[in-house]
Parts: sequence; structure tokens; C-alpha cells
Amino acid sequence: MPDDISRLMDGDLEDGDVAGVCGRIRNGDVVSTWVCYHVIGDTLRGGAGAVPRVSGAFAARLASEPTILAPSAVRSRPVPLAWAAAATVAAVAVVGWVAYATLDPSPTAIAKAREAATIRAAQVRPQPVPADYLLAHREYSPTTPMEGIGPMIRAATAESADVRP
Amino acid sequence: MTWLVAIEGSLRRARPFGAAAAFALALGAAPFAARAAGSAEVLDAASLLSRAAAAARTLNYTGTLVYQHAGRVETSRIVHWNDGGSEFEKLVNLEGPPREVIRSNTEARCYYPDAKIVRIEPRTFRNAFPSLSVQQQKALTDYYELRRGEADRVAGLETQAWIFEPRDGLRYGQKLWFERTTGLLLKARIQNERNEPVEQFTFTDIVLGARIDRDMVRPSWPPAPPAWQVQTGPGETDTAETGWVVRGAPPGFSRVAEGYRTARGKRAPVAHIVYSDGLVAVSVFVEPASAVHPAGLLQQGGVNVFIRDVDGYVVTALGEAPAATIRQIANSVARR
Repeated sequence: MPDDISRLMDGDLEDGDVAGVCGRIRNGDVVSTWVCYHVIGDTLRGGAGAVPRVSGAFAARLASEPTILAPSAVRSRPVPLAWAAAATVAAVAVVGWVAYATLDPSPTAIAKAREAATIRAAQVRPQPVPADYLLAHREYSPTTPMEGIGPMIRAATAESADVRP
Repeated sequence: MTWLVAIEGSLRRARPFGAAAAFALALGAAPFAARAAGSAEVLDAASLLSRAAAAARTLNYTGTLVYQHAGRVETSRIVHWNDGGSEFEKLVNLEGPPREVIRSNTEARCYYPDAKIVRIEPRTFRNAFPSLSVQQQKALTDYYELRRGEADRVAGLETQAWIFEPRDGLRYGQKLWFERTTGLLLKARIQNERNEPVEQFTFTDIVLGARIDRDMVRPSWPPAPPAWQVQTGPGETDTAETGWVVRGAPPGFSRVAEGYRTARGKRAPVAHIVYSDGLVAVSVFVEPASAVHPAGLLQQGGVNVFIRDVDGYVVTALGEAPAATIRQIANSVARR
């Protein structure tokens, strides 16, 4: 299951499997996995700004911690441990909110999860679509005869990034 | 190997579109028909599409075409001339670096004056897809619900809109506006599964039956200007069994073509297999893996592209379909 959630978030899940996995996210344990993965993902992408908003109490407690002005020698602590701990704290705080969202019986929650997966998948590296393939494909599109120029424009657009001697 | 012969036949034979549709209708291959309110007019998806395709080929017209996708707007000027069966077309973009495409029955020349490149593509005029097969026409009715839309004006002309609503989430919906008297497609909108437009083509002005002479479809440059680089585009397909197959094509998608083609910058010929549901096509390309290539999902307007490695080969699937569909096709490509 954790594997399926990871694939869902990466947009790697087949479309037919999305509904099933989203259905199982209603289960509490699975929700925390889902949340945990999102927090880890956000942290990895540098979006740690979301964590302080998670829990006002946690933030207040953190603020009240004494600032260590003379830290001991910097140890090469593996970073993953640091954010794994943060993720756990954050996950617990967030679960209530997410559980509310995902336990929503309306199809909106599922749609949103699906949308998240789709959007994540769409945010892949901005590389130009291979123009040659686009042009070769164009010949076979049934609507090509009607769109006439459309595929040509698409190809020309792709090619403007691709044209080099 | 009967099916291979059939595929070759559909590639080689240039059947008139209308005749093929009539043939299919006679066979009863298109059971779903939309009856226009208050009239005896009965239309089905295949005849709408074939009428539009025939109009686009046979009519003379000049117009301005606007293409919108992902917040971008591109405007082009088009001149289409049918000179006693020979087609000529000139397309010039009106913004950004100049691009000019001159099409004839035998080739297309794309001029890139800023890069001093002219690119020649053989055999581009719609001859590869002469008609919808009976199987594709069945897929059209099985997987899309055809609904009559509103009567509307586009580019100052009266049109009738038709909506191709997908019956599953594996294909995009399309809304097409056909000119009333000729059936020419004047506007097309592709919508994703959330009913958001993915891309749209619209004529903002058009002159049907325009008086056109040869000069209007001539390129602004010589066929191969001196000091320009001449490139030859993807070559003709040699129809052949490629040894690759899509094991899990989404329902309604059937194989319509298969073969090898040469492509610029590729040492080995590239396997090319095409699947279609009658309204859209998805291409699968397979080539030996080179050192560096992109992987994953790419997007260009309404076209999604998914690239992955399979046993030392690179598989690229692309087409005007949702990302999930393209990915499913790419992920199920295997050795036959």
C-alpha cells in the first residue's frame, strides 16, 4: 500500500487503479502514510514553509525553546533523520485536517486526489516534445484533414525550441 | 497475416473520404445517429467528420486561424487552393519569429528564416489516413456520445456545433463547429476530463470560395535559398511488422498502421505503430536507446508524450489523449 500511495503521488498509478487507492486512503493508517509522504515530499522540494502552519502549539513551543548561542561542533548528522522527525510531528498534527478532507463522502475528495496525481505528473521537466515524432504522428491523426493546419502549428511551436543547425 | 495486408491497403489506397463513409453506412457500421430537432436530417459522427475533411480538401479559402493552448495564443494566415485536384496550401504565422509552411500533394516545406533552415517533408497531404475504417467508426459510436450543440456564428459564418462526449475518462472530449453549407470545420475545442479547454483552433475570418492564384500559395523564399541548410524530415513509412506490440491498449483503440521510418538524427530506422479510436490517434515510436534522452511525461498543447526505457530501447507514446491514456499505452509496449 505505501508503494501505491507513492506511485499515486508521483502520478505513476494507472488510471484504473487511482479510484481503488483513493478509496483505501479513507483508512486511518493509510491517511497518515499519505500525509507523511506529502510532508516528506514538500520538505524535499524545499517547501518546509508549510510545516510551521501545521500546529500553532508546536510553533509556540518551538519559539519558547532557548536559542543555543554556542552550539557544539557541527556533527554531520544525516539530513533525512532531521526531516523524518519533523515529518512525523507534522503528520500527526495534520492528520485531523486531511482525514476530514479525504473522508468526505462526496466524489470531490477523490477527484482532488486524482487531480493532484495528474498535476504532479504534468510537472515533469520542461523538455521540448520531439518535433520529428510530432510531425510523423500528425499524418495519422484522423482529425488532421479538418484541422488542416493545427498539427503543423503544434509542430512548428515544438520546433521553434528544436531548430538548430 | 491478413490484418497486415489490410493495414497496408488502408495506407496505400487513396479512397475518397465520402465514398468510404457511404460504404460504411451501407454496412450499418454506424448505428448511432443524431436526429436534428424538427427536421429529417440524420447525422452520424463519421459522416460529419468525412464531410468536414472533404470540404477542407476541395474548397478554396483564405483565412486567419487562431490556435490557443496553455495560455498561449498563436495566429496564422492560411491560403488553401485546390487547382483541379492538386492541393496547395500556404501557412504563415503572424507573431514571433517568422515561420512559413508551403504544402503540396508531394511535400511540405517549412521555412525558418531566422535559423536559415528549410525543412522538407515528403508526402504530407493527408494521404496516410484516407478514411476511417469500419472498426474506427464503430469505436467512434461506442466510445463517444455525439450531441448536437448550439447554432453559432464563427468568423461571421453560420455554424452548427457538435459535441463528442467521451463515454470514459480515457479520451478527451471535442466540440466541433461545422460551417452550415459546406461542412468545413471552423472551430475546434479539445476539453479534458474536467471540461477545461486543452486547446482550441478558431478561424477568426475566412473567405470561402476565394479567388486564388498560384502566386498566393508561393513561398516567400526560393525552394532552397543559398546558404540555407536543407533538412529532410521524417521519411516515408516502410510498412512492416516491427516486432513491438501494445498489449494493453485502452478499449476502442485499434492498430491502424505499423512500420519503420527514418528520422533526422537517428542512426537506425524507428518503429512506428499507430492506434486510433476514430477521433484521435496515438503513435508509439521505438528506437534503440542512445546516451541521453528525456523520460516521463511531456506536454505540448493537447498532445501528451510519455517516454520510457524498455530493454535497451526507448519507447515514446504520443497523441491527443489524456496523460493516463498515453502512459497506459507506453507502459504496455512489449516485444511481440
